[in-house]
Amino acid sequence: MRDGQPTVLPGFGLTLGFTTFFLSAVVLLPLAALMLLAGSTPLQQLLAAIASPRALASYELSFGGALIAACINLVFGFIIAWTIARYEFPGRRLMDAAIDMPFALPTAVSGIALTAVFSTNGWLGHYLDLAGIHVAYTRLGVILAMTLIGMPFAVRTVQPALLEVQRDLEDAAETLGAGRWYVFRTVIVPSVLPALLTGFTLAFARALGEYGSVIFISGNLPLRTEITPLLIVMHLEEFDYRGAAALGFVMLAASFVILLAINLLQTWGHARMARGEQ
Amino acid sequence: MSITLDQLTKRYQGVPVVNDVSLEIGDGEFFVLLGPSGSGKSTLLRAIAGLSGLDHGRIALHGRDVTHVSARRRGVGLVFQNYALFRHMTVGENIEFALRVRRVRAAQRRRRRQELLRLVALEGMDERLPAQLSGGQQQRVAVARALAHEPQVLLLDEPFGALDAKIREGLRRTIREVQRELGITTILVTHDQEEAFAMGDRIGVMNCGRLLESGTPQDLYTRPTTRFVATFLGAANLILARQGSDGPRWGARPAVHGPGACGAREREVVAVVRPEEIEIARSSETLACSNFLGRGVVEEVLFTGALERARIRLDEQPDAPILAHANGDGAVLIETTRPQFEQRAFAISRGQSVTIGVRRAHVLPTPLSSFTICAPNSSAAERLAGNSLLLDLSSRMKTRIRKHLEPMLGASTPSRDSTAALPGTAVIGARAGVASDAKWLLEHGVEEILILPEHAPAPQRVLIHWTDESARSATLAASASVLRHLAAEAIYIDVLPEQTSTAERSFGIRALLDARSEARAAHGLEIRTELRFGVAAQALEQRLSESPGHMLIVGVASTSQLTSELAALLAMARWPVLLVHRERGAPAHSRSAA
Repeated sequence: MRDGQPTVLPGFGLTLGFTTFFLSAVVLLPLAALMLLAGSTPLQQLLAAIASPRALASYELSFGGALIAACINLVFGFIIAWTIARYEFPGRRLMDAAIDMPFALPTAVSGIALTAVFSTNGWLGHYLDLAGIHVAYTRLGVILAMTLIGMPFAVRTVQPALLEVQRDLEDAAETLGAGRWYVFRTVIVPSVLPALLTGFTLAFARALGEYGSVIFISGNLPLRTEITPLLIVMHLEEFDYRGAAALGFVMLAASFVILLAINLLQTWGHARMARGEQ
Repeated sequence: MSITLDQLTKRYQGVPVVNDVSLEIGDGEFFVLLGPSGSGKSTLLRAIAGLSGLDHGRIALHGRDVTHVSARRRGVGLVFQNYALFRHMTVGENIEFALRVRRVRAAQRRRRRQELLRLVALEGMDERLPAQLSGGQQQRVAVARALAHEPQVLLLDEPFGALDAKIREGLRRTIREVQRELGITTILVTHDQEEAFAMGDRIGVMNCGRLLESGTPQDLYTRPTTRFVATFLGAANLILARQGSDGPRWGARPAVHGPGACGAREREVVAVVRPEEIEIARSSETLACSNFLGRGVVEEVLFTGALERARIRLDEQPDAPILAHANGDGAVLIETTRPQFEQRAFAISRGQSVTIGVRRAHVLPTPLSSFTICAPNSSAAERLAGNSLLLDLSSRMKTRIRKHLEPMLGASTPSRDSTAALPGTAVIGARAGVASDAKWLLEHGVEEILILPEHAPAPQRVLIHWTDESARSATLAASASVLRHLAAEAIYIDVLPEQTSTAERSFGIRALLDARSEARAAHGLEIRTELRFGVAAQALEQRLSESPGHMLIVGVASTSQLTSELAALLAMARWPVLLVHRERGAPAHSRSAA
């Protein structure tokens, strides 16, 4: 906190108090309840819930799929953001608006839409099926749904960062003798890396928690295309709250570790860029 | 020559932003490109660096044509206004960037880095990040980075723009020292004339995409050839004067002259008087060593340390001198600066009546001194005064528009016994009988006539033609004067008769080349040339109709040509036309600026 300079908004004390309260009531308290519930479960039952083969397979799919989806979004989100930020072409605004669509759709609708296109008798799925690629009811389908859902997060975080990269930087690098690929690697990517990481994190987190759209296209085959959120819902339907809480706890812990790691990486990058900035 | 630019042209949406620029810069020279924002100087610099393409022209660096060589292979160093340092790299990494690209070995890179850091006085800063440095230090790093690959040419794009005055001073000195030590040919782009004076071996002044003049700071300051340079490089009083045989003579009333007296006519000229060349005294007897200009009242006195600045309002008298450009609510204010010792000798205060003298005046060679609207009645004069092309030209030329009502214009039987006194360029409205109006004016001693149609788009191309070789120099001088103030391309058109034999055609081409070289040598004006066949007026009309946005400048040697050959073309009233008239055998008034 700065010294007691008057500002437009109420002071530090009030805002910090409000922040703490809000975070506690909406985020921390429910999470604590979850942990308490999981913690009060007998160890035997806990292990049975979180280490069953079905659960292990679902972790693999959920985390692996979300990771792959986030990676895909990182690459294509960057390309989309680059196109929209750097070029002026007819239909650019329309394209810009279309990116936000997955934000606005109820996820179940996305799932139905994806299934309509990619199921074996869907528009695209039909031809893919002939080519031997099966999307619906496979892990590929799960990743596809996760990618769709996470895409706007990746684009929207990278776009402003790309707008900020000065053209002059690229011009400077070019006059110093660097080729396009070299400029891209050593100048552009490092400049937008923090934003890329944020986009990656958001896309990953969104894909991990996704439920609605995935369950339609995955087919939910035990051990093969079952994601952890689905397993949790199944536990809930059997009124096995402790089992659900235990799985939830595992997801929570794992994502916390991953997000923390990415955050640390980002802080380090930021510090490197802006150390001592006036 | 280190840098040779040959007729560079770059257009944005049809408008030339760099317009036929040719320039040669010698080895180790520090050249400053000076101009207001939007004058095309940065675009020109980027073109030299290879960062923006050209529509026309050639660039050679050290004799190697690099017009189609990419920026990364041109071997230039470029420094930007906003530093453009790579923020995620340390100072050392920034400087080594160009060497890393070229896969120079680490030991050698380190040596070069140390050398460059010493050069820009930043030793020991290798490990810092750009964000940890002050603006001045960052720009030093940018200079070191731009020099790492030993470029043949260093280009600086407003490098001091983002720095405050004190740091600017220090950095200027550093850059000049580095440049001298390395002997590297350098171009600096700036809009700050003080900076241009402080740094440049030579200065080139740009406006509207054209390189107007280039020369040493002293030359440009004391002997500018254009109004723009005169007023952009330091302050200047532009005063309308009459050019006599013994120098400029001041006074509002131009000599009255009748028909046939063209040769002996005292032309109206524009004189540049620097504020420090103005002398102030109690009366004309006490003027020490200068030419009496007039009397006036001190309007404002400012103490600025070493110099005192004063503005003096000239008395309104019939024979008072006229400023070419009315500054401040139409008032006629003379600007002066005086050093301390003059202030002690004769102190002035606000409201005091003083005598003004001129120690030294420089007469601009431009043939277009001022505009005089000639119209038969006041409503027609008002219409002409609102013409956008005329307003643009007069404000850019910093000259005034007078109005003169002449009932003889448009009369069916023009009489000859008018005592019209029409200084400068006459401006008339286009109409069916405009040729006889023009003839009448020419017979009354006017030498340039601007004929304006009611509606015409801003000219993008200016076509130049003369019907007689004797009008060539005068037409080129007038064209140069107009084109310096328009963002338009210049095209000289020569028309040969349809049945010209091959042998005679070569003479036509020779005439084109002569026109081009004269325009370039005498006026620094780059023009393009076209050869057409047929009857002159028809060929011109055909060329003018090809696309909108044309203006025509045509030189004639006799008034009879107006009413015969050109009458139909002038009567069309679709393009602005500047008529330049020089009687055969009359002395050429335009002084060459070579």
